[in-house]
Amino acid sequence: MANSKKPGGLREMLESMYSVIALLFILVACVELCDAAAAVDVYRLIQYDMSGSPFGSRFAALNHHAASLHFPPGVDLSRTVLIIPLRELNITFVREYINQKKPLGGLLVLLPEVLSFKTGGNNQVHEKEKMKNLLAELERLLIHSNIPYPVYFAFENDEIDTVLADIKKNDLMGQPATATTGGYKFVIPTAEPKKVASPTMTNIQGWLSGLKTDGDANQLPTIAIVASYDTFGAAPALSVGSDSNGSGIVALLEISRLFSLLYSNPKTRGRYNLLFGLTSGGPYNYNGTQKWLRSFDQRLRESIDYAICLNSIGSWDNELWIHVSKPPENAYIKQIFEGLSNVAEELDLKVGLKHKKINISNPRVAWEHEQFSRLRVTAATLSELSVTPELLESTGGLFDTRQYVNETAIVRGVKLVAESLARHIYGHQGKNIQIFADESSLAVNPAYIRSWLDVLSQTPRVAPFLSKDDPFVMALKKELAGHVDEVNVQHETLEGIFTFYDSTSARLNIYQVASVTFDLLLLLVLGSYLIVLFSFLVITTRGLDDLISLFRRPPSRKLKTA
Amino acid sequence: MTMFHFFNCAILTFGPHAVYYSATPLSECDTLGTSVKAALVYLGTALVKLVCLATFLQVSENDGFDPYQELLKALIGFIDVAGLYFALTQLTHRNISQNHKFQAVGLGWAFADSVLHRLAPLWVGARGLEFTWDYILQGLEANANLVLSISLAALGSLIWLRKNKPKTLIPIIYACAGIVATMPSITSYPRRGLGWHFPKVVGFELFTSLVMAFISWQLFSACQRPYAALLSPMKFRLPSSFVV
Repeated sequence: MANSKKPGGLREMLESMYSVIALLFILVACVELCDAAAAVDVYRLIQYDMSGSPFGSRFAALNHHAASLHFPPGVDLSRTVLIIPLRELNITFVREYINQKKPLGGLLVLLPEVLSFKTGGNNQVHEKEKMKNLLAELERLLIHSNIPYPVYFAFENDEIDTVLADIKKNDLMGQPATATTGGYKFVIPTAEPKKVASPTMTNIQGWLSGLKTDGDANQLPTIAIVASYDTFGAAPALSVGSDSNGSGIVALLEISRLFSLLYSNPKTRGRYNLLFGLTSGGPYNYNGTQKWLRSFDQRLRESIDYAICLNSIGSWDNELWIHVSKPPENAYIKQIFEGLSNVAEELDLKVGLKHKKINISNPRVAWEHEQFSRLRVTAATLSELSVTPELLESTGGLFDTRQYVNETAIVRGVKLVAESLARHIYGHQGKNIQIFADESSLAVNPAYIRSWLDVLSQTPRVAPFLSKDDPFVMALKKELAGHVDEVNVQHETLEGIFTFYDSTSARLNIYQVASVTFDLLLLLVLGSYLIVLFSFLVITTRGLDDLISLFRRPPSRKLKTA
Repeated sequence: MTMFHFFNCAILTFGPHAVYYSATPLSECDTLGTSVKAALVYLGTALVKLVCLATFLQVSENDGFDPYQELLKALIGFIDVAGLYFALTQLTHRNISQNHKFQAVGLGWAFADSVLHRLAPLWVGARGLEFTWDYILQGLEANANLVLSISLAALGSLIWLRKNKPKTLIPIIYACAGIVATMPSITSYPRRGLGWHFPKVVGFELFTSLVMAFISWQLFSACQRPYAALLSPMKFRLPSSFVV
């Protein structure tokens, strides 16, 4: 009998050892060996109201566990943040989530590092077109939806990549992070977003006077060159709008520089005044342009021969479009178009004419020249876009970064506009004279264009978040003042159908937390350790009887008294 | 949840001291006053050590192992030994037996050490959201330190309080006391020089403390054996009629 007991006892001991080892494994598996908490810069989705309807992400603060796209199906995500890198983003999945109003704790989209204007540098983007289309679609979806949870954008870096890999590993094991299973916790401690009170739009105008001889009784005619400089995008802290409309601003500055060179010498000063306008409020039906024009003197408005508006001329190959609202048969339109086509032929590029009638009752203003046309000033917009953009489209979004702009295109655009303007001013129509020839002192300066484009590609310019004395606006004013005779700044309030909310960027803290189960297990282990220690010490110093007597004291007392 | 973690680490760091006090006959002999006095003496020696370290030690930029600096630190560590000597011999204790005295002094010493070195980091760090293993390892280190302090107190009491010891054991006693006294310097070599990670260092500390405790226990009982009849036995038992 003793022999049969021994193997049984051994098996029992082995089994208890296995359970101890299993317990140890569970303890270790609950929490991995840690990294320190990571902190990442994140940028919030825009939050705005249009005619009272809410759009965008309505919340800013975040304090939830994180999960990746590999979460086990059927799990409740209302207290979880989904972290999705752009390359794994499936638009239909996101669209389904938003349209069916499925509950979610938060959404974090990871953008590739090359798109970051702080760290991406000028690296080439792989699969440009695909990424651009994906980003454009995502942006369109997010801007026009009402999302009741925080949505943030962040750029990938090593830290967040390791965190994401960890989260994916945990999710694949079937253990999404909750309070009882540990994992990663994303915390963004910001206050509730508040409305931006009376957002300002700042219009900057520069005036270059023409040569007035004694014989001129009337005011000289004026030509206006206008570009809107503000942007709108899904992440306002990232809306740098290199093409829309950074390219326009840069072209306007370069044209003003060239003509300031010409006009500085009275012998070469033209008989036309030049009015340069850097307007704000572009994405909001060119509200700023309208207010700027309304502030004009009646005489000034009547003296404007025509206006050229520049909108997105940074990423075209061979064809530019001139958008007009007056019919192409109109004499003035014909003149403008012919002037530009002649120069275009010489520069080996094409210009096409697009006519879009304006509907006075429709408040939608798709092109800047329409604001001029509504006040009966002849105007045209020069753009690479052939299709009229919708509201809040092509206004400088997530994909509109430096890598998508080609400075050679801008140089050619500047040449086109400057030459045709000069030929009109100096009366050289039809003659093959190159005023701004390469290698001359009046050549278009690519370095100037490049440096300003770089600056613009690092400055987000969403109008409600630019204060009255914003340093960038002041820099634009200063630059324009260096090229023209007189600069004026006009501040207007952005009223109308749009209301904006603040809190555009924040800092995300990532913590690796232990589950409640782990803490309870640890408590159990420590409790048993202390009990074992206690018993060990009592046995060695006082003897086993004393240990037993600790638990049996009352009965022994009773026995004694009895 | 994070206060929970703080609570767990606190009972790991300070629990064994309380358990030791209540489990052994120390609680019955009411040696709390001795422990408190020993803790105060530790505070004093810590201050003196601080001043000496600040005066004589140079702060190195890198975390490498500098033998000269470590030697200086070891010499300053002997101030610890002086403090223990003071606590064991000069403080007037009530009439308690010798082996209880060294246990009480060692306990008070270790408790003060844990409170001074580990309470503040624990309070500040363990309550945060982020989980690290550091505080649990720190608690294990506190346990090792408790064992080491009691062995050092035991050897100290052997050296200074016991008048008649077997001649052969005296050099061994002094050697062990020297090793235990310079244990901090010995552990800093693997920590800095070999670049071990914290868990390995803590394991090493636990192992060495258990080894030294075992050796000092053997030495103590070896010194006691010839005089078992004269001195009070290690197993101190009150008559059962006193248990109320």
